[in-house]
Amino acid sequence: MTEQQIFESLAVIVLASPLALLLFVSFVAVLPFRDKEKAIRSATYLAILAGLLASVGIAAGMIAAGESARLLDLGDWVAIEEVSFHFHVAFVFDWLSVPFLILIWILCGTVAAFTSRYLHREPGFQRYFILYSLFTAGMVISSLARTIEVLFLGWELVGLSSALLVGFFHERKSPVINGLRVWGVYRFADAAFLIAALVLHHMTNHGDFTAMTGHAAWPATDSNLEPWQAFVAGLLLLIAAAGKSALIPFSGWLPRAMEGPTASSAIFYGALSVHLGAFLLLRACPLIAASPALSAIVVCVGLATALYASVVSSVQADVKSALAFASLTQVGLIVAEIGMGWYVLALLHILGHAFLRTLQLLRAPNLLHDYFKMETAMGRRIVAGDQPRLLSRYPFFRDQVYHFALNRGYLDSFLDGWVIGPFCTVFRQFTRWESRWIAMWDSRVVNDAGDDFASGPIHPDWSEESAMDHERVSR
Amino acid sequence: MDTHTSHPDGSLSQIGQAIDHAAHFLPAQGPITVFIHHNTLHALEHLPFEKAVRHGAELFGCRAYLSEERYREELAVGRIRTSDITSSLLESLGDEADIFVGLLGTRFNLRRAILRHPLHAVLPEQLDWVIAESSAFEKFNTEADKDESQRMVSATRRWLGRVFGDGNGNGESERELKQLCEPFADRFSLAQMESWKPSKWESFTLNLLWRICLNEVARFPRHDHKRPPVRHRDFLYSRTGEDSDQLVNDILIPFCLGLLDQGFSKWHMPERDKGLFAAFYALHGGGGRIRDRWLRTLPDELARIHDGRVTPLQSVQESLHQLGVGENEIELFITQTLLALRGFAGMIWQVERRADRVAHGLPQGSLVEFLAIRLILDRLALADIARRELGPRQSLAGLRDYRFHRDVADPFQNTRCEAFAIFLLAQTLGWQPETLFRLTQPNWKKLLEEIRLFDETERLQVFHLAYERRFRQQSLDAIRNHHLARKSAGLDKRKGQAGKVLFDVITCIDEREESFRRHLEEINPACRTWAAAGFFCVAMYYRAADSFQYVPLCPIVIEPKHYVEERVAGEQEEDGRRRTALRRTVGATLHGLHSGSRSLFSGAATAVLGTLAAIPLVARVLFPRFTALFREHFDKLYSVPSDTWLQIERKASQPGSGNDEIGYSVDEMTEIVERLLRDIGMTSEWSRLVILLGHGSTSLNNPHESAHDCGACGGGRGGPNARAWARMGNDVRVRAALAARGLIVPDTTWFVGGYHNTCDDSVTLYDLSRIPSSHAADLEPARAALHEACLRNAHERCRRFESADLRLGKESALRHVEARVEDLSQVRPEYGHATNALCVVGRRELTRNLYLDRRAFLQSYDPSQDDANHSILARILAAVVPVCGGISLEYYFSYVDPEGYGCGTKLPHNISALVGVMNGAASDLRTGLPWQMVEIHEPVRLLMIIESTPEAMLSIIAGNPVIRQMVEGRWVQVATMNGESGDMHLFQQGRFVPHHPETTELQRAPSSAAWYRGWRGHLDFVQIDAAELVASGNRKTP
Repeated sequence: MTEQQIFESLAVIVLASPLALLLFVSFVAVLPFRDKEKAIRSATYLAILAGLLASVGIAAGMIAAGESARLLDLGDWVAIEEVSFHFHVAFVFDWLSVPFLILIWILCGTVAAFTSRYLHREPGFQRYFILYSLFTAGMVISSLARTIEVLFLGWELVGLSSALLVGFFHERKSPVINGLRVWGVYRFADAAFLIAALVLHHMTNHGDFTAMTGHAAWPATDSNLEPWQAFVAGLLLLIAAAGKSALIPFSGWLPRAMEGPTASSAIFYGALSVHLGAFLLLRACPLIAASPALSAIVVCVGLATALYASVVSSVQADVKSALAFASLTQVGLIVAEIGMGWYVLALLHILGHAFLRTLQLLRAPNLLHDYFKMETAMGRRIVAGDQPRLLSRYPFFRDQVYHFALNRGYLDSFLDGWVIGPFCTVFRQFTRWESRWIAMWDSRVVNDAGDDFASGPIHPDWSEESAMDHERVSR
Repeated sequence: MDTHTSHPDGSLSQIGQAIDHAAHFLPAQGPITVFIHHNTLHALEHLPFEKAVRHGAELFGCRAYLSEERYREELAVGRIRTSDITSSLLESLGDEADIFVGLLGTRFNLRRAILRHPLHAVLPEQLDWVIAESSAFEKFNTEADKDESQRMVSATRRWLGRVFGDGNGNGESERELKQLCEPFADRFSLAQMESWKPSKWESFTLNLLWRICLNEVARFPRHDHKRPPVRHRDFLYSRTGEDSDQLVNDILIPFCLGLLDQGFSKWHMPERDKGLFAAFYALHGGGGRIRDRWLRTLPDELARIHDGRVTPLQSVQESLHQLGVGENEIELFITQTLLALRGFAGMIWQVERRADRVAHGLPQGSLVEFLAIRLILDRLALADIARRELGPRQSLAGLRDYRFHRDVADPFQNTRCEAFAIFLLAQTLGWQPETLFRLTQPNWKKLLEEIRLFDETERLQVFHLAYERRFRQQSLDAIRNHHLARKSAGLDKRKGQAGKVLFDVITCIDEREESFRRHLEEINPACRTWAAAGFFCVAMYYRAADSFQYVPLCPIVIEPKHYVEERVAGEQEEDGRRRTALRRTVGATLHGLHSGSRSLFSGAATAVLGTLAAIPLVARVLFPRFTALFREHFDKLYSVPSDTWLQIERKASQPGSGNDEIGYSVDEMTEIVERLLRDIGMTSEWSRLVILLGHGSTSLNNPHESAHDCGACGGGRGGPNARAWARMGNDVRVRAALAARGLIVPDTTWFVGGYHNTCDDSVTLYDLSRIPSSHAADLEPARAALHEACLRNAHERCRRFESADLRLGKESALRHVEARVEDLSQVRPEYGHATNALCVVGRRELTRNLYLDRRAFLQSYDPSQDDANHSILARILAAVVPVCGGISLEYYFSYVDPEGYGCGTKLPHNISALVGVMNGAASDLRTGLPWQMVEIHEPVRLLMIIESTPEAMLSIIAGNPVIRQMVEGRWVQVATMNGESGDMHLFQQGRFVPHHPETTELQRAPSSAAWYRGWRGHLDFVQIDAAELVASGNRKTP
């Protein structure tokens, strides 16, 4: 076997293992295993171990050969020459993706081991592992993607599994509400991502990152794009990254995402998916480097997020929210580092922070125990302190800042009042217009159905007949 | 309804009283660091159990019993027998059993018939679906008896033939019948009924039956007793789908968290020491803040209250006035308003009342301020939603318009539902259509009333009584038969044991120690065990050598007066100081990392180095036990030196926390020692070594850790109590004083204190260096037995853990439970009190060598040593009944309704403000027990078996109001047992009635392990063929 063949088979193992796991877990219910939990657990260990070893093997090979990037090209899956659109499936192993990949395997593996005991006897055990393997697959695909389409594919899988895991306890109301909210923010970010992909296609006729970021391996930054092109594309990607990484102004969803089981909160919002936005920016760093204006914006968004999150984190009295905002503080700093052009530092920061935060979140239910131990060792009680002297001296500002922090910087109110509210109003108005229009055609449809769309799903008086009429008319 | 608009005000004192009263319905759980088990429905304890669970179900929106489906499953597997249901039905009906109800004879008969077949309660919205899906009008219900159905069809055929056979059918009842058939007549051509196939006849019969039922039920519609909601929010919600509570919670939950925080957040809430009102004003009163639209007028409102010096109570009054709450419903309204966020309201109430138990208390009157704030927010949220959804100029009072309430809508569908239930009942009971058709109206009315009277809760109650009855019969029989067997072997007396007993062990009454004691006695028959409440009569504030604060170690009802301190022995003092210094550094570093990692810049530094965290992360999750051993090694460097002693003797005359005031006087010690020995009856037949074991539990990642500790120590760990008691008992001055009181403890007897960790099954003995050399040899067999008992106990416990292989050996079992303690991902470190069901108060001779499956609290008590007034039993029961009853009832309710009374699954729990847990980042505080703690529990009321006479018990019940309330209200079941004859009496309806054993047989097993092996579920109680039993009788092991 040549070296290239070895690399290719390892790369296929990396990509295939989470997908195979997903397939296995999804169908485990109909497979002849007596102890389903055990079967799922063993399969997960196997898949993670295979992926980890293959990734380490690739890294070793790259070090041995002194290479900085290797490609796995699966060719065009769709090609529409007239509009020069190619759905090009290709994966890249470089010094950005490989460390991130190894991080993913270690964290996913640890969390799998944790969860297999934590969720023991839980009715949703299998469902959790389906979402978990979907998430792992998404993370692996997006970290290795070499074209923006492939990255989007992985990105979507991560988003879908995250939102469903937030709503894991769907018998209660608030997990579902919060899961929907996370999903909503993700979709908004996705829209920006898709537009960015389209814009890039228009500018470069390719979806490959090389087209926009040059051929040199990461972290080199020789973009072929004009600064204004880089600015437009980069800004859209920044919006996408901000949604995924809960940067300002999307930060409100992060604490809401703590509705799922502790372990999934840890891996998703403490460690991996919250860093995915930063990863995207790292992947697109040549764009940022090509546009000074964009760099400045990235630094500002990052620093603002960090400052915001650290202030908000200071007043959180529940451990998971406090850790969520602590995470966000560091993510903000990481984004600022990317804007400054310190890419390697940013990558190291991601790795270290992900490990630390996962450990802290997994231990979050141990808080009382830890506090008892620390207080005993220190020989005194741990108490909440004052705000910084500058603030605590002036009650007006002190209260103001506390109010700001306790209301999480009003970001959710802002989104509710200025984005979601108007959006809903506009579309409800459309619904009203539509139903009025229909009513003009067919008087049998109940008048003013629009109002009912606003509050409830379907008008109870709609018989089958009128529903059919409705369908006919709308055609 | 006009009651809401008349009398708009209540006086301030009336409102104050209403709040006080409503507060009792809030969860009584304090900060979670000290978890005290108590009856979840304590507020309703003045009612009898059955009434209270029904009332509680309405008030709190929770379940009263298990589901009917569940009871039927238990019936199917034989856990409940049909005869139990019959007996329970008779018992619950009492004199009413023979009331004649028509058609089926007596009320008893009707109810028994209803219970025999599952009555599928169908919700109005499901009805049409169920009818279509089960072809209800085509085929007989599957529960119906085949022959009975055949008979019904042919009788209907005969009836129709009679009526329509001659072709005219013009009589009065014929016309009525025709009318009845009208709605479905087009599918059945009556003229050709001769040629109908059997299936067509079946369908026709069912259609006819359905029409008859529907007709009659519609004639006597049910007057719905379901109380309409009182809160405006419920009306607005059902009308618009907008939830005002959600708006209010968004403001109120973070506010309460900041207020209750005991030191987790970095910044404290401004002005919180001045109370809720002041803090809320500081937070929301100032201008210039961005806020949601519905809160725009909040600052003005707060400023008005602040400037006008409106008291919280006046503010509540204003709000009630504006909301149009009538005088006669104030209490109900306030109760429901507080219950809307019951976890936080309850915690505020607890912290306000017991400010001494937390680091940051709240001032008196906090609950009133909470209510005032809540009502202000409620008003604003309601007004905003009403304006948006219903248009301007809505008065708040007008929101409670019953015309718009959806729950009371559609009476027709409700009628159909009820008719459908009777339709099914008629099929299963074989009520002929003709009979029903000819039933007179008064009889129909009576029948319907009877069926309505026997509603779901009533049915479940009978099932539940049967469920308890079966267990009670088995338990009483097992203990009685075991006693008789031991008596015939001559083992029921304590006399003459002195020489044969090597050592004694006194444990807590906790049911987890039952197996530990049983194993000890199995391992070494020369061991004798006893049990007393695990604080061993030593009520104290205790400070460990490494601690900086005193913790109370005694039942929650006692406020200790004495202080005890652990100190490092003189020769190690220097070493101790060095270690303390090191410990302070380590603690400060840990805290620095802990809080620093959450801040901006030090967070960045820790994060960049955070890759190092991968090591503990992977190690702790993958190799928990190994990591723990490794860590312990490090901890040893700075832990307290091994040689410590208790400062237990007081110099000053009065107890206190000052240096000279620490400890007890000799008289007080004598009092304590005598009290325990007399309680358990250890006054003669001494052995050389008596070991006392307190108990507690450690586990990781478990906010409910304290719930596994010793209940008698108020959710603390009882090791120090045992240690202190042993010190007192060994004191020569104490022994001299005891002798003067007629209690002679021989010099050859030595007491040793110890601690049993029920989670990892380890035993630590204290002050071994102080054991006289004469007793060193006695210690060895005892330690060996304790070690072996730990192994076997771990083994027995492992059968309950699904993740432990049933084939594990003893050593692997111990390693398994040790790993559970250290495992971050383990949500069931131990099962705690789950499965508790029994409490035996009496001599150990009654239960020795009886396998009680870790389900029985055991309290030692010797009636022969009690005085004529039963004063020892009375003081024992004064503690045992409320404590064990409380534990049992908390498990009952958390199991029966895990989301309502319990705190649901642990998986999304989030420790909040260091006082409780929320689900996710913003829910109410969850109280009660998590599902993972109770999942193997069997919800039965505690059965107390007391070795005493009915007369003695009646006088004790009459003399103690707490016991009286619990026993007469049937919150616990009480039986007495005669220690001679084994005769038992059961307390029922205010008197003791003889218990009639159902069997005189008792299964036997060669050893505990041979019996529990290979089975995870509950086990029957069996006699263990221990050496002494086998030796004394000529019995054979099966």
